Amino acid sequence: MNVPIRQYWNLLSTYLKSQWRWVVVLSFLILVTIALRLANPQILRLFIDTATEGGAYPILIRAALAYFGIALLSQGLAVAATYVGETVAWTATNALRLDLLDHALHLDASFHKDHTPGQMIERIDGDVATLSNFFSRFTIDVVGNGILVLGILGLLFREDWRIGLPIFGFAIITLFLLIWIRKKAVPYWTKYRRLSAEFFGFLGEHISGREDVRANGAVGHVMHRFYAFVQKMFPVRLRSSLGGYSMWMANVGLFAFGHAVAFGVGASLWRASLITIGTVYLVFHYTELLRGPISEIRTQITDLQRAEAGIRRIRALLETASRLPNEGTSRLHTGPLGVSFHDVSFAYEAARTESAEEEVPLELIPALHEISFGLEPGTVLGLLGRTGSGKTTLARLLVRLYDPQQGIVRVGGQPVNAVQIADLRRFVRKVPQEVQLFRASIRDNVRLFNPEITDTQVLEALDHLGIKDWVLGLSDGLDTLLAADGGGLSAGQGQLISLGRAFLADPGLVILDEASSRLDPATESLLETAVDRLLEDRTAIIIAHRLSTIERADRILILDEGRIAEFGPRQDLMNDSTSRLSRLLQAGMEEVLV
Amino acid sequence: MKMRYALWELIKYRPGLYAANFAAWTAILLAELGAGYIAKLFFDTITDASPAGLTVWGIVALVVAAGVIRIGTILAGALIDIRHRYTMGSLLRRNLLAGALAQPGAKSLGRSTGETLNTFRDDVQVVEDTISWMVDQAAFVVYAGVALAILIAIDARITAIVVLPLLTVILAARLVAKHIRRFREASRRATEKVTGAIGEAMEGVQTIQLAGAEKHVLEHVRTLNKERLKATVKDRLLSQSFHSFFWNTATLCTGLILLAAADSLRSGTFTVGDFALFVIYVGVLAEFVAVIGDFMMHLKQGAVSMERMMGLVGEGASASIVTHAPIHLRGPLPKLRVPKQTTAHRLASLRVEHLHFRWPEAGDGSGNGFKLRDISFELSRGEFVVITGRIGSGKTTLLRALLGLLPIHEGRILWNGQPVSRPADFFVPPRCAYTPQVPQLFSDTLESNICMGVPAAREEIDDAIHLAVMEEDVPQLQEGLNTLIGAKGVKLSGGQRQRSAAARMFIRDPELLVFDDLSSALDVETENQLWERTFARGNRTYLVVSHRRPALERADRILLMKDGAIEDSGTLHELCTRSQEMQLLLKSAFHSEGA
Repeated sequence: MNVPIRQYWNLLSTYLKSQWRWVVVLSFLILVTIALRLANPQILRLFIDTATEGGAYPILIRAALAYFGIALLSQGLAVAATYVGETVAWTATNALRLDLLDHALHLDASFHKDHTPGQMIERIDGDVATLSNFFSRFTIDVVGNGILVLGILGLLFREDWRIGLPIFGFAIITLFLLIWIRKKAVPYWTKYRRLSAEFFGFLGEHISGREDVRANGAVGHVMHRFYAFVQKMFPVRLRSSLGGYSMWMANVGLFAFGHAVAFGVGASLWRASLITIGTVYLVFHYTELLRGPISEIRTQITDLQRAEAGIRRIRALLETASRLPNEGTSRLHTGPLGVSFHDVSFAYEAARTESAEEEVPLELIPALHEISFGLEPGTVLGLLGRTGSGKTTLARLLVRLYDPQQGIVRVGGQPVNAVQIADLRRFVRKVPQEVQLFRASIRDNVRLFNPEITDTQVLEALDHLGIKDWVLGLSDGLDTLLAADGGGLSAGQGQLISLGRAFLADPGLVILDEASSRLDPATESLLETAVDRLLEDRTAIIIAHRLSTIERADRILILDEGRIAEFGPRQDLMNDSTSRLSRLLQAGMEEVLV
Repeated sequence: MKMRYALWELIKYRPGLYAANFAAWTAILLAELGAGYIAKLFFDTITDASPAGLTVWGIVALVVAAGVIRIGTILAGALIDIRHRYTMGSLLRRNLLAGALAQPGAKSLGRSTGETLNTFRDDVQVVEDTISWMVDQAAFVVYAGVALAILIAIDARITAIVVLPLLTVILAARLVAKHIRRFREASRRATEKVTGAIGEAMEGVQTIQLAGAEKHVLEHVRTLNKERLKATVKDRLLSQSFHSFFWNTATLCTGLILLAAADSLRSGTFTVGDFALFVIYVGVLAEFVAVIGDFMMHLKQGAVSMERMMGLVGEGASASIVTHAPIHLRGPLPKLRVPKQTTAHRLASLRVEHLHFRWPEAGDGSGNGFKLRDISFELSRGEFVVITGRIGSGKTTLLRALLGLLPIHEGRILWNGQPVSRPADFFVPPRCAYTPQVPQLFSDTLESNICMGVPAAREEIDDAIHLAVMEEDVPQLQEGLNTLIGAKGVKLSGGQRQRSAAARMFIRDPELLVFDDLSSALDVETENQLWERTFARGNRTYLVVSHRRPALERADRILLMKDGAIEDSGTLHELCTRSQEMQLLLKSAFHSEGA
């Protein structure tokens, strides 16, 4: 129990601190409600005793009206508490969502490789949603209901210790039993949520890949996997739901016992003329009134089970540290940046499985071996090699998507892991192979939501690319909203936007990763000038499979299975008929000139 | 499709289970009434008001026995309800998935993956609740009916005084209920925007990181979060007030009992036992009203969710949401049926006549929806036909429209002279297979990604991998074919993904192979190998989008597209001599060769 409570407390204090005024208001509303609930049965006793003893009629009427008034007041308080509670909860959970998103956005590629966007939605929004109730009501309700229970017990002791004691015993047993059941149920909740995250990951992926699924006649296969999930999840769901039901059953059983006790004690004391019939009713009514707070606590505990599973997963996410420590302090400067690789080796790690609790030594898949080379500021390097030869990996090390296991990568004379990450992101720009578009305006897609970049700057960048007129010709110009998944733009047009992003950053080192591979030659030639302008006064690395793309390179580096096969000035290599580049060019030219 | 019809269809899916659920929940509620009646017996016994021939201790034993019976009924109800709910939820998800997959594959579903998943998660949950609570409603009617009958038998006058305000509450509630739906919708829309944005941020995490745009994306989500907070608090405030108003009526009615019973209690015609029973059963009746009220409110939410689900499967198919399909909750899964290649699938010729396509009133406002205008061409067995043209000329759109991945507006497609009425269902293996420009792979093993359900022998897989020039890559992967390739296949390089997709196509050994710019992530050498190996098999027909030499030169015919129409067609040599557009397309290639 200790550890979770500390965890809840940490979460609570972090996210509720800034709202303490509202929390106070909420607590006040709840306390008043409790007082009103304790007062009501006292009125009933007064009423019954007065009536059965043939007391004055006006007293009866006054008692009835008081009862009525309290009911109305409670209603008003409930609405106020809802408003305050929900606002507190959503403010707190929204802050948590942003923190999680922030954290996830800073995790390295090795994490994101293993988690589908669908899974991440489930972890950032789904898990937090189950916490929402926890933030608004849990503590206050559990504490509030605890106070109500204590109030009831206190009032029963005031009647007679022979009444108070057994009911007190009953309340204690009930509480412990419920806590015990709760403990039993949590693992099933955790397991169910994990399975369901996996399930939604599967759904998301196949829905976004519908085109491939359909055109390859694999609909049946996907449905088959769906059914397999349905079968696998049922027993887990059954157990986790039964956990909730067992709370209810325990509650019913315990209250049958509680009433038996109340009846036995009440009847004995009434027979002995120690209490009035009104008090017998009061005992019965208070026992019944315990059902409310205890069943509230039961509900809250069920939510807590969900919240606890959620909290565990949230903590797990927050504790997932980026493999790339962000401790750099060195700065980069504007202007072209030099690049050097010194004895760099790198291997990818095999998949990290979510369920593995203990650290399993990871298998490594080698990608680069002992790479050493240097580039003067302002040089353009053409990077060549077969698919899988390590070109993309080399680029990834430069932008620090990964850190090499061995060797040093330098940009602008500084080891990349010593450079402030913000500087690295500003001055080193990679134009990725696959373009990610967002469901937002063209403006925000180009400037990536940076509000400091003005329309003039965006348009200037688009003008460079020769697509300013195209964008302004759209129905809403820069305000034009892109549909989900960048729908409405062709792959090539998406890539133009991606180039626009790079233009805006004004970097000192540009890495073009097959940037134009999906453009047809006509559009590509439009871009020639723009790319030329981008490369002016900048260091650049152009990764290409096609020979045409590297014609502006000063130097050429050819990779083969993760090793440097050739490196040198392009002109020298071309003049040397035995060089790999010459052979490649020959093959390429034959290819084209036939 | 009416909500009522949809619910009825869902009930009919497992009527036995539904009936059992109803019986179990009726038993649970009646057992609860019994426990209340025992309280009346207790007070009457000790006040000697109407001796039931029971001692106090007999009643205490009765209380305990009633508790045990109630636990039994709840357990039975739980087991049935969990199964029933799970069945309903799984059926809805199954139909949603089937419906989403049945839509033209390249047509946007009109929402992001995150939003779509929201429907799979939350909307299904809401409808699942609706069905489950409908059972409870029916049981509650019995429950309230029995309670009311007992109360009337004790004192009809007091019963009337208490029940009338309850009815007023129900009427008042109807007036509020219609606003609830509006607020709910607004809150759902705001939620969708948030989940959609989170999903996109995760999909594009690398882009964001490399641009150092984390903080700006976060700000974007923060704005959406604020909108969601406003909408949701409004929604919750209304529904919660509505809810607590119902629950408070029990207390208000107890006040009424006090007023009405003051006299009779004094005169002794109304016993303390009667009073206790009235307080308990008025609680029962108020609970009934509250539950009905909650349910009415929930029905509105259910209707919103149902509409969103129908939106996902598309117009005209909305009824498919409640189709009675097997969900295979138990027992072995059925064998996958993979159609065998037969002579009936053989392609002699494929003809496209006057094909037109226009983006349906593009809601994205981009206004650049390509049109296909009057496309006609023919393909004969064994031909290699390349579609080329500049960016945006409609090459990809043409492939998609032909394969039924986009809905065509006009024109005919003829396979061996026979018109194809449903291209999406027709152009699948073993007739045809397709690899899109950016192929999608799935988080599973490489083998499973290649086979996707095709029961293939090891040699067949090796064959397909060889054809796709991947035989050197596979042994380098950590676990070869069994390597888990990560979400969307991110653990493979771009070229490996392309070639895996090609292998996926080859293993299906279709008559017609359609490539959309398969070569864009491959180097010249690899691409050459791929074409060589593929041609060596012979006897297949190809339709390929490309603007690269290796493909253009092999082409029996090139279809040159411009602005959505076929401008010219012929061999590379013919087009080079007579078409300015072709010369322009090739210019940069020649230019680079001169370097």
